Amino acid sequence: MNHVLTIQTKNQPVVLERLLQVTRYRGFEVAGMEMKPLADFSGLLVTLSIVSDKPISLLTNQLNKLYDIEYLDCVESEQTQAKAGSMRA
Amino acid sequence: MNGAELVIKLLEMRGVEHIFGYPGGAIMPIYDALYQSKVKHYLCRHEQGGAFSAIGYARSSGKVGVCMATSGPGATNLITSLADALLDSVPLVAITGQVSQAVMGTDAFQEVDVLGLSLAVTKHSFMVKDVTELEHTLNEAFELAMSGRPGPVLVDIPKDVQLAEVQFKPRLVEDTETSQPEFLPAAALEQARLLIQNAKRPIAYIGGGVHMADAVAELHGFLAQSQMPSVTTLKAMGTVPPSNPYYLGMLGMHGTQAANLAVQQCDLLICLGARFDDRVTGKLAAFAPDAKVIHIDIDPAELHKLRRAECAMIGDLRQLLPAMSVPTHCQDWLKHCVSMKQQHGWRYDHPGERIFAPLMLKQLSERMPDNAVVCCDVGQHQMWVAQHMSFSHPRNHLSSGGLGTMGFGLPAAIGAQLARPKDTVLAVSGDGSFMMNVQELGTIKRFRLPVKIVIVDNQRLGMVKQWQELFFNERYSETDLSDNPDFVSLAAAFAIPGHSISRKDEVLPALEAMFTWPGPYLLHVRIDETDNVWPLVPPGAANQDMLTEKAQ
Repeated sequence: MNHVLTIQTKNQPVVLERLLQVTRYRGFEVAGMEMKPLADFSGLLVTLSIVSDKPISLLTNQLNKLYDIEYLDCVESEQTQAKAGSMRA
Repeated sequence: MNGAELVIKLLEMRGVEHIFGYPGGAIMPIYDALYQSKVKHYLCRHEQGGAFSAIGYARSSGKVGVCMATSGPGATNLITSLADALLDSVPLVAITGQVSQAVMGTDAFQEVDVLGLSLAVTKHSFMVKDVTELEHTLNEAFELAMSGRPGPVLVDIPKDVQLAEVQFKPRLVEDTETSQPEFLPAAALEQARLLIQNAKRPIAYIGGGVHMADAVAELHGFLAQSQMPSVTTLKAMGTVPPSNPYYLGMLGMHGTQAANLAVQQCDLLICLGARFDDRVTGKLAAFAPDAKVIHIDIDPAELHKLRRAECAMIGDLRQLLPAMSVPTHCQDWLKHCVSMKQQHGWRYDHPGERIFAPLMLKQLSERMPDNAVVCCDVGQHQMWVAQHMSFSHPRNHLSSGGLGTMGFGLPAAIGAQLARPKDTVLAVSGDGSFMMNVQELGTIKRFRLPVKIVIVDNQRLGMVKQWQELFFNERYSETDLSDNPDFVSLAAAFAIPGHSISRKDEVLPALEAMFTWPGPYLLHVRIDETDNVWPLVPPGAANQDMLTEKAQ
């Protein structure tokens, strides 16, 4: 199953490493990643594309515990593709 | 004041009385600020020992443990202890010095990426890049270490930050402990009460989270009201009084037969502050196969992680346990559990003159003073302690559960002795484990700590050897320790008296001598290398399929 996570973090050192370390350790594979600072540079907006057969809650529950994570949302990739398809049409 | 002085001032203001550490180049300004401070520093002989002492201090007192180390090797030596604290949810603050920011990233002397190393072994870690962030960061570290599911937090402070001048306007340190009742999940509680009332074979599976939540009294109330049998994890030993007739002991790989069989037979498993660890469940798919599950934890990530719960609640056990206390109707089940407990009781009629470790530990347990703290190492002796010693509170039994770290016991006992100077503290170790942090005898000598050390010596890495015997065709690869040092002479080199025994009739006089000696003491107990820990759930087996001594 593919998943897309939208994550807003504090602008702290190692926050990206922390996200990736937890993702790898909990047995999820990163298929893609985008990162950009927020307009006021107070934080980062990260989009993680995740591949796994495990329930995504096993990862999001762990990521949500991270001190530097301020917001996390999960969208299944099938839905994302459907949205993209409709936009192109 | 400079950043280093701010660190020490803040520790004082937070009421930190004891810290453990080892100085070095990149943390010298903090050690300079520590000189003549109100904070008492205990110089360990290895940073791992210092951090384990901080863990022992925290676990025996309920306070945050604090340790310090310099950059590079000082910090890397903390890593095992931080991992231990993470796996056992111990509140710990580790402060490390770092090389100055001007040379960071240049492979400077004693430079290593501590922040990077800390990611996998801490609840959170900070690097302080500006001295104006120092106060907030340290306060945050203490609050994070204690809040929610406790854990270790590391603060890495470059030397230039330690030396930078700072204006310090101390804010009032607020008690973050909230006494306000939290929102209770009414629907889930109602579901839990119904599940409990309708259960024919309920059982409480109690983990370390109960006492971490300071909910031991509420648990006793819950068990008294509901009248159901209970089992505990290794970390929760002491949470249920051994006198409770329906307490069946520890469950899991070396749990009691009654505990494991009852869990396998139950129709409702009430998991309180525990996490379905593999050493508890055995074959997960076959664990409590007929049971519905109620799972309560402070950490949402533990719910449904390994076992789907019919009723899952996140929250404070102090409030949830009274709210789900209802009577049960399971007299036949209680009788059955008591019958299993009697049928599978321990036997101590071991033949021969040689010391039988389970009996020796039972005798030790019966003779140790009330409220004594027992700090274990890891291996066969650790399981025998859990099986054959009794504890009145989980803060009296310190054992490395999640990480299973050999070398934990002796330094943890040092921390416990400092946290609880009026209580007797015992370090019960194996001959393998003891040598892993043996240098901490120097700390005991320096501070004249009256720690009682009992070494259960089979001249082997006993637990590994037991597995080699049972599962690796008796191929005893690298588990022979028959060239151990003379432990009594070793202790004597640190001005610690001791005695060595090898016969059953020597046990009681030796225990008497140890407990009446006013200072530190080492009792060396020789046992037979063929003695194994029973029962044992073999790897990959379900918990009802225990191997017992009789079956061998």
